[in-house]
Amino acid sequence: MPKQIAIYGKGGIGKSSTASNVAAACADEGHRVTIIGCDPKSDSSITLLRGRRIPTIMDLMRQGMDIREEDIVFSGYKGVRCVEIGGPEPGIGCAGRGIIVAIGLLKKISKAIEDTDLVIYDVPGDIVCGGFVAPVKKGLVNEAYVLTSGEYMPLYAANNICKGLSRLEMTLNGVICNSRGAPNEENIVSGFAKEIGSRLIAFIPKDVLVQTCEREGFSVIEKAPDSGIAEVYRKLAQSIMENKEGKIPTPLDDSKLRELTRI
Amino acid sequence: MPVKEKEPLIMHPRPSSIVAALYTLRDLDTDVVILHGPPGCCFKHARLLEEDGMRVVTTSLDESGFVFGGHDSLVEVLEKVIRRFNPKRIGIVGTCASMIIGEELHEAVMDVQPDVPVIEVEVHAGYRDNTKGVIIALESALAAGIISEAEFERQKALLKEATMVEKRHGAASKEYLAPSRGDLKFKVAGRLLELMKQGKKGLNILNAKKETAFMFADINLDVAEVAGKTGPGSQIINMANLDENVGLPKNRRNASEIKEELIRKGMDIHHITGGLDEYPIAGDTASRIIGEKYQDFDFAVITGVPHALPMDHLKNMELFSITNGPRQVVPLKEMGHQHVMVEIDLHPKTLGVNHIVESEFGATLREMSKGA
Ligand SMILES: Nc1ncnc2c1ncn2[C@@H]1O[C@H](COP(=O)(O)OP(=O)(O)OP(=O)(O)O)[C@@H](O)[C@H]1O
Ligand code: SF4
Ligand SMILES: [Mg+2]
Repeated sequence: MPKQIAIYGKGGIGKSSTASNVAAACADEGHRVTIIGCDPKSDSSITLLRGRRIPTIMDLMRQGMDIREEDIVFSGYKGVRCVEIGGPEPGIGCAGRGIIVAIGLLKKISKAIEDTDLVIYDVPGDIVCGGFVAPVKKGLVNEAYVLTSGEYMPLYAANNICKGLSRLEMTLNGVICNSRGAPNEENIVSGFAKEIGSRLIAFIPKDVLVQTCEREGFSVIEKAPDSGIAEVYRKLAQSIMENKEGKIPTPLDDSKLRELTRI
Repeated sequence: MPVKEKEPLIMHPRPSSIVAALYTLRDLDTDVVILHGPPGCCFKHARLLEEDGMRVVTTSLDESGFVFGGHDSLVEVLEKVIRRFNPKRIGIVGTCASMIIGEELHEAVMDVQPDVPVIEVEVHAGYRDNTKGVIIALESALAAGIISEAEFERQKALLKEATMVEKRHGAASKEYLAPSRGDLKFKVAGRLLELMKQGKKGLNILNAKKETAFMFADINLDVAEVAGKTGPGSQIINMANLDENVGLPKNRRNASEIKEELIRKGMDIHHITGGLDEYPIAGDTASRIIGEKYQDFDFAVITGVPHALPMDHLKNMELFSITNGPRQVVPLKEMGHQHVMVEIDLHPKTLGVNHIVESEFGATLREMSKGA
């Protein structure tokens, strides 16, 4: 069975950029990687496809397409297979149902989530309803990672996600700090990780390269492979590939969380 | 990219996939089914199915269930069902409401760990063809080891045909089908008697879906009897899809019950065209036999799913069709059936029975033959 991971974290914290850089770094190492974008805004794979937007599963379903694998699975940087689920415009219909239906279809028509070494589910910031945990509930995710900075609100969101994971009896395999340059950040996140029964597996500094590469439609792994930040992503990718330890997290109560984030 | 030919929108309500799943579970001899959804979902059929000995209960999801999820209610109902009914086989069936919010039926089963098989059916009512509900139920039955791979494949092929039958000349054939009561039974019975008296040659075909045959067979029985008395010279050939050696347990039982009763009452069944679940293809078998042997016959009485019979060899005959779908009248007329009658509310009367049930047209024909 491939390694099947999902990256969770507060909206805008950097899940998609981390996911695509990790995917690219793993592909560099010769691993077969599949990335599944579960966000209706379908921006998970764009930096693996040189800025190209691929048709989403939901777009095709809506057109009444007879969907085949080649219509929805696209080959990106070094053969990373990219799928975007897509969904309705904000405020219309039911995006969660879209994910349930799309995951079912993908399982049926494509080997991209089985016949591979690593599957990354890039989920939107807030798990707003049952649909967004469909990959977990359908047993398609066997490792979860939480991405956070050292600030109170992202940690609050991370802690909430841990509540969700423990309710689903899903293991957490590590906490990743995506720095926003907050004071004492690494210590705070590392402390949080320990408190919830996990560990900090990477500290990603804030680096404008991430954004400049992204604007041009690239990961830093592809566009700036010699940069320091590319090296950080490579290390993270390696520790994810080697990671075998997961534990159902024990979320904190709010007062504990406030205390922990006191600078 | 291959864009599917967009199927036209159909406006009249059609049979529900959830209900189709319920009936399939009944055919699989399921003792209790839990509908995971709102209390009113499938109310009418849930009630009717109890006539056939299958309990149907609901998790009664309400507004708060929609918002917060219904996992706990499902666990609770599953535990209650086990305690109260001590079932040997349980079904859990999804509904639109629970499926949209992403309820995982299997989670509740894992929590409760019942020691009898549970068939989990993730279905909602939003499928274009209700046969989808049957397929999903059978897939789960296959996964639970209750039916064989071979039976599953057989059923799947039949359902595909059933869907095609409805698309060609049935409920899915038009954007809108107005319901109709069809022709007046006494008038049609009069015409049929006339043909019998003239010694015309007729085909008497039962091509019915599952238990509906309990009533449709009554018509075929009356036709055979009345013809025997009315026109001694007239020749009637009887065909029926009553093969008791195929299908799910209940369908086999019902086929043999009906067949035995017909034979006991003196009817010769000249040709068996298939099983009770084979109505989508038994029509083709009947048609082939007609082509080989009875092309020159004058009339045909067809009960059940008359639109599943191809018109190739029937074109020159006067056709008397009896359906239980008021929306089936228009398509049958368009196919060229001269006389189309509806047995209203037939299905409910055929649940929970193991003997032939009186039909309106059969009774009419019998009464009128007395005066003739
Ligand atoms: N380490 C970093 N340094 C600098 N900028 C970063 C870093 N990580 C992410 N960003 C930037 O932050 C922005 C948000 O990132 P991204 O879209 O990956 O977040 P997300 O968690 O996927 O958001 P959403 O929840 O909306 O899906 C992007 O412009 C991205 O380039
Ligand atoms: S909409 Fe769906 S869930 Fe609601 S009552 Fe109708 S069939 Fe049941
Ligand atoms: Mg994102």
